[in-house]
Amino acid sequence: MSIAQAEATELAIERPVSLSRTALVRLRRNPAAIAGAVIVGLFLLMAVAAPLIAPYGPNESVGGLASTPPGPSAQFWFGLDEQGRDLFSRIVFGARLSLLVGFVAVLVGLSLGLLLGALAGWTGGRTDALVMRSMDLVLAIPPFLLAVGIVTLLGPGVLQVMVAIGLVTVPQFARLLRGSVLAQKESDYVLAGRAIGVPSWRLLLSHVLPNAIGPVIVLATLTMATAIIEVAALSFIGLGPADPSLPEWGRMLAENASRLQNAVHLVLFPGFAVVLLVLGINLVGDGLREALDPKLGR
Amino acid sequence: MTADLVVVEDLQVHFPIRTGALLGRTTGAVRAVDGVSLSIRKGETLGLVGESGSGKTTTGRALLRLVEPTGGRVTFDGVDVLALRGEELRKLRRRMQMVFQDPYSSLNPRRNVANLVGEPLRVHGIASGRALDTRVTELLDLVGLPRNAGARYPHEFSGGQRQRIGLARAVALDPDLVVADEPVSALDVSIQAQILNLLGDLQQRLDLTYLFIAHDLAVVRHVADRIAVMYLGTIVELATAPALVGRPLHPYSRALLSAVPIPDPRVEAVRERIILRGDIPSPAAPPPGCRFHTRCPFRQATRCDTEIPALREVRPGHTVACHWAEEIEAGRIRPAQPAAALAADG
Repeated sequence: MSIAQAEATELAIERPVSLSRTALVRLRRNPAAIAGAVIVGLFLLMAVAAPLIAPYGPNESVGGLASTPPGPSAQFWFGLDEQGRDLFSRIVFGARLSLLVGFVAVLVGLSLGLLLGALAGWTGGRTDALVMRSMDLVLAIPPFLLAVGIVTLLGPGVLQVMVAIGLVTVPQFARLLRGSVLAQKESDYVLAGRAIGVPSWRLLLSHVLPNAIGPVIVLATLTMATAIIEVAALSFIGLGPADPSLPEWGRMLAENASRLQNAVHLVLFPGFAVVLLVLGINLVGDGLREALDPKLGR
Repeated sequence: MTADLVVVEDLQVHFPIRTGALLGRTTGAVRAVDGVSLSIRKGETLGLVGESGSGKTTTGRALLRLVEPTGGRVTFDGVDVLALRGEELRKLRRRMQMVFQDPYSSLNPRRNVANLVGEPLRVHGIASGRALDTRVTELLDLVGLPRNAGARYPHEFSGGQRQRIGLARAVALDPDLVVADEPVSALDVSIQAQILNLLGDLQQRLDLTYLFIAHDLAVVRHVADRIAVMYLGTIVELATAPALVGRPLHPYSRALLSAVPIPDPRVEAVRERIILRGDIPSPAAPPPGCRFHTRCPFRQATRCDTEIPALREVRPGHTVACHWAEEIEAGRIRPAQPAAALAADG
């Protein structure tokens, strides 16, 4: 059999598989990633179908005021808070806010970061220096302090908190994408594209970005977890969403921290919700990183 | 055969050396290509040979404006390539294409073959829809790939097949000039001949002109009509392939040729062997005078380290940049290294 024939038969056997599809296949083979996806999926379901899942409304007082709120029982799974509201229902409704904040914050950080990172990496030269030095400036400030500063500047509110947390993550996204773009920019296929006559913007959008974006996707999932913690932290220090009746996990933690001795469940369950969701997202993120790494597999 | 398709005059590509991150100061330049002049005739294959760091790849890229030349002139079919801007340059790219050394990194791993091969046609608005599919199938046929290769991805192919994909992409626009930058050096020896044959086949069928860049003189002597030898950013010798291989005039060309084994043990035992000492000097600080004098076994006490030798025509069509080319050829100057020459063929 000649070499050409051997190559031909080899071709006939192999099925065409795209890289993004192999990434999905690899993700499916990773039990930790599946567990993470299940956790995140459950929280998503909780958020979407909150009114159906929660037995009571988030602000519905079902037990009356109590200085020592009753703990978990068959009727109130997670117990009641000091205003007589069902904690389980509040946590279920709280998933909406946490997921929304995580999603929007990442969207803000990702979109601005992508724009700046791609601009800096692709253009190079002075633009690059200017963009990246200003990113360094932002990175020099501790992220949580910066978020606090931005919220103070913008005023309280759900949107403001999301924007603040998102803005803080911009330099990370920009830096990561810039590096990734720089690495791709030097590769032969980009040169080949230029030789063919592909316009620069098209080369960036349709060739470089798809190859450069892998690590950024991973960072996005991990950032979503951080964003959820940060909104909880902002709520904890009193800079969270303005409406006090909103069931926010971080605020629940903050308001009840002093009751740790006589009503542990008020801190335990919201804290557990944050940890579980963050864990789920992190597992998915780690799985994605492994699945998208071209060095693993062929 | 006689008309020049490409004329390069005194081409220079200097890369600035900057220090400092923010306020970069230029402290020097890497003279990757430093005064290259050559012409490529329509329909011929010009081989460009040199070792790593000689600037041959940069020369090829500068011709296509993939690297911006810092000086000199490049004329392609009467058009001043370096004067073109934006859309004009993009249009000219239809006529000059490139084949890359590494068939792995030169194909976007996330695009399938039909997409890769069809991209030049789409970008220049030449074909779309069914016409594009037809043309892509034609091109795959042309380079000897199976028709069903279009839906597959580069990582599913072997090195030789990938190089075929690269060739299909390069000839998709029906170019006049193809710069082939070490097109076979990344391939297994058994595959090299196939790709070289394909290159020759395409040249005949599509009336192509090649600039064939390689470090391996053994490959180039078989495919090139004329050969240019580069050393440290300059051309040291240019002649027809038989003349350069049969009667090399520049000491560097002799050294390169003496590294090519001859498949005859009797000849191999007695032939002249020149072993160069050391590495190619840094192009950031090229030696004064003749750039080769630091490694030249024929180095003389005068002129070599003070006077830059001009490229001069020693025989018709055979140019060389060496002060002592005639004396060396006549055997009046012998190599200095005692162990280097077993037998001088003079």
